[in-house]
Amino acid sequence: MNSSCSRRRWLGWLGSGLGWLAALPAAKAAKSTVKNLLTSSGAPKGYDPTKHQWLMCIDVDRCIGCGLCVDACKIENKVSASPHYFRTWIERYLIRKPKPGQLALRGEVTVDSPNGGRDGFPPTLVPKSEILKAFYVPKLCNLCEHSPCSQACPVGATFDTPDGAVLVDPEYCIGCGFCIQACPYGCRFMNPDTHTAEKCTLCYHRITRGLKPACVEVCPTQTRIFGDLKNMTEKDPVQEFIRNNKVFTLKPNLGTEPRVLYANIDKEVR
Amino acid sequence: MTSPRLPPQLLRLVLLTLAIIGTYSVARVFLTPATFGQFGHYRGAALEEAASRPPVYAGAKACDECHGDTFAQLTKARHRSVSCEACHGPNRPHVKNPDIVPAKLTDRHCVRCHLADAARPAKHRQINLTEHYPNEKCLECHVAHQPNQSK
Repeated sequence: MNSSCSRRRWLGWLGSGLGWLAALPAAKAAKSTVKNLLTSSGAPKGYDPTKHQWLMCIDVDRCIGCGLCVDACKIENKVSASPHYFRTWIERYLIRKPKPGQLALRGEVTVDSPNGGRDGFPPTLVPKSEILKAFYVPKLCNLCEHSPCSQACPVGATFDTPDGAVLVDPEYCIGCGFCIQACPYGCRFMNPDTHTAEKCTLCYHRITRGLKPACVEVCPTQTRIFGDLKNMTEKDPVQEFIRNNKVFTLKPNLGTEPRVLYANIDKEVR
Repeated sequence: MTSPRLPPQLLRLVLLTLAIIGTYSVARVFLTPATFGQFGHYRGAALEEAASRPPVYAGAKACDECHGDTFAQLTKARHRSVSCEACHGPNRPHVKNPDIVPAKLTDRHCVRCHLADAARPAKHRQINLTEHYPNEKCLECHVAHQPNQSK
């Protein structure tokens, strides 16, 4: 080996390596300032997601199946009008009386949701004498504390925000659809235009401005109650809801810990 | 030679490794979004982007600002639990420009909630369209805000 690969050259390489390392923080700072300049948005200022914890309560006994929430959600969030895409929808449960001779408390259960309930429900064709009980159940993203959808996402496009919403970053989403399969409540769908996963955002653009989500805003019977766990008031509607009702969550056996609480649901509701 | 020297083939390997790690770290700095990791393992700006869309439904408070008298009347009426925009439709355009008139009420609005169905709670007022004045319009008899009052 000749002397060209000497200590001098060696030190030179080492020096340049250290130089690169020193340049890293500087580059990082420069980049974030440029980014901040370029990405000024119309987002409300002064909203701190760490100071809120949103949740929704649904009293099934109050729901009259008018479908105004579904309509408002579609309009507010510009969800595709086609009857396959819903961020929230209403299901009508019909539990029939058991057939004569059938040793059961309840008969057959049928669930329907014409156009998600957006246009209201046509009167059921099942004669009243055959119905044991019937009721409407509004459905939406269950705001799981341990959300299966964000665990399934291979690119980290779905995430749980500090304020309790589960959002999709459309810039990261590759449209693989794993989250749609992972959601046990069927609350996700593929946006037909952008081909990215879409779901209830809890009307994130509204709640950050101090408004209620669109579905809660238009609900005529106060079936949906929206609240903030971190900013409970005296006689908070959420607290009243929990005090006055037997409160359940959907599919509790899955351990998803939903923050959408249901009151007065039957075991048929899933 | 007294000092121990790195064999040249090893030296080349070390330099190559350093170059790869250096390129990776520099590329990572530039490819990672600025707000990544602000709240968790995701782009913090995504929250802001989700929040940046303007609302379409203005909210009852916005209605109260101009229509305070009607709003106060409604709080005593039978339909007090019904929000303005439930019947009158999304009205942010109207709030921004009062010349844009909200959609007119039709009978469809009434029937949506009050058509008789087995799944509706029994205490909720319901009508059968074939029995309850089939040829009349709802609003010919009923006042929308106080429906048990006749015109």
